Amino acid sequence: MPEQILLQALNGLVVGSSLALVAAGLALLFGVLHIINFAQGDFFMLGGYAVWFALSVTQNYLLAMVVGTVLVAILGGALLSAICWPLLQKSPVLILLATLGASLILQQVATNYLGGDTKMVPFPVTANLTIGPIVYPFYYVLVVATGMGVLTLGYFALRYTRYGIWLRAVAQNRPMAAALGVPVPRVYLVTLAVCSGLAGMAGGLLLPLYSVYPTVGNDVILNAFIVVVAGGLGNFRGAAIISLLVGEVLSIGSLFLMPNVLKVVLFALVIVLLVVRSRGTHSLVRL
Amino acid sequence: MLDVQDLHAYYGSSHVVQGVSFSVERGEAVALMGRNGVGKTSTLKSIMGLETRTLGSVRFDGSSLFGAAPHSRAARGLGYVPEERAVFPEMTVEENIRIGALVQFGSDQRACLDRAYALFPILKERRQQMAGTLSGGQQKMLALARGLALQPKLLMVDEPSEGLMPANVELITNALLSATQAGLTVLVVDSSFDLLRQLCTRLYAMDRGVLVGSYQPADFATPDDLAATILSGRA
Repeated sequence: MPEQILLQALNGLVVGSSLALVAAGLALLFGVLHIINFAQGDFFMLGGYAVWFALSVTQNYLLAMVVGTVLVAILGGALLSAICWPLLQKSPVLILLATLGASLILQQVATNYLGGDTKMVPFPVTANLTIGPIVYPFYYVLVVATGMGVLTLGYFALRYTRYGIWLRAVAQNRPMAAALGVPVPRVYLVTLAVCSGLAGMAGGLLLPLYSVYPTVGNDVILNAFIVVVAGGLGNFRGAAIISLLVGEVLSIGSLFLMPNVLKVVLFALVIVLLVVRSRGTHSLVRL
Repeated sequence: MLDVQDLHAYYGSSHVVQGVSFSVERGEAVALMGRNGVGKTSTLKSIMGLETRTLGSVRFDGSSLFGAAPHSRAARGLGYVPEERAVFPEMTVEENIRIGALVQFGSDQRACLDRAYALFPILKERRQQMAGTLSGGQQKMLALARGLALQPKLLMVDEPSEGLMPANVELITNALLSATQAGLTVLVVDSSFDLLRQLCTRLYAMDRGVLVGSYQPADFATPDDLAATILSGRA
């Protein structure tokens, strides 16, 4: 039993760190542009397909990951800006509905052109790691390290880089940022692309674990929304920490509970968390 | 330097600026005065491009600002220090100053920060503090220091002395004075006798969306004269 718990705790890190990539993007989109993006899960799906496709061409997983992530960043950024630009000054509900529409369209397009079947790829690294009593696939460790590494980089980028500072300024007071010369449209574009790219990267990272099919994003987006709501909308670090927590609850919980009961427990935990430390729907980017 | 012709601005269904025309020459400090709600702030925001519905012509430094986004107006040397919600509350004092510096000076932000700290040493002490935790007066100093540090050609300042204790009004007046002596052009909205008398070369009175009078600082011998002019509005 202790071995199983350790194993599931490690798996929880894998689930959590990839979930964090999706959720951090979701949190940033809300914090900066006040967009609730229902298509974030489908960018995860697109990331899986993009890496699968790039892999079949290049045969190099690292290269495929980079190509896939950049492709989703460009595609997602373009799609979101096409949707959001005309609606930005109008009711936020319109953008929410528009991204929901985009999500359905993306899933249907994927089904029609890529097929409803599951695309699988082998593990790019087959080595195993011995951690105490268990033998653990090295690729899983790589997924966790990459997820954590990217999020840490993102945190420092938000904190110290030019676009990081601009992005927080725009989130806190857009007119004042513009009056100081911050190129707001460019900051928006970068944010849209980075947030899409984060989801795409997560989709690519998890491709060898879960494979990819047109509705793979649906499970991800639900958990990501739980994370973002519990961690505080717009809260980057909160999204990362809660993601790991959710990953652990789901993984370790699966040892003791049926999946449907586990969902109930998760939602109950979120409600408790919201009641205990409710900070309202801040639309600021918090570090 | 700044030439405003027949400027109109609308806020919802109200017509807040109703055909304002004036100009500010290089090196001048010009004031807009008037009661609350007569359209002074809307005039400044319209010039900065922050009002969404405006009509009329604004020329700055020889070219029209028509259709330019606020950030490109800033890039051309137009600065703006608003009265309220001027600082980024969840960013440090230093980050607040760096936002603009990153645009204009790229990596050479040190000089920009030093200029701001030289004007208001208290900001240097508090540089790692979140701007939202500063007192109201310190936030005003931060906003002004940030505006000046960017070295715009023309700085628009909305109510810099509003709600400040006299010692701080003096500090802010001196900061603006030394900037104008160094060649900055200023368009200020304020009602402080001391600040206007020391700083301005010309003053416009504004009422209900239009300019109703043009004055010299010498026209006001006492604070009461000034207050009477501001409050009387349209004759």
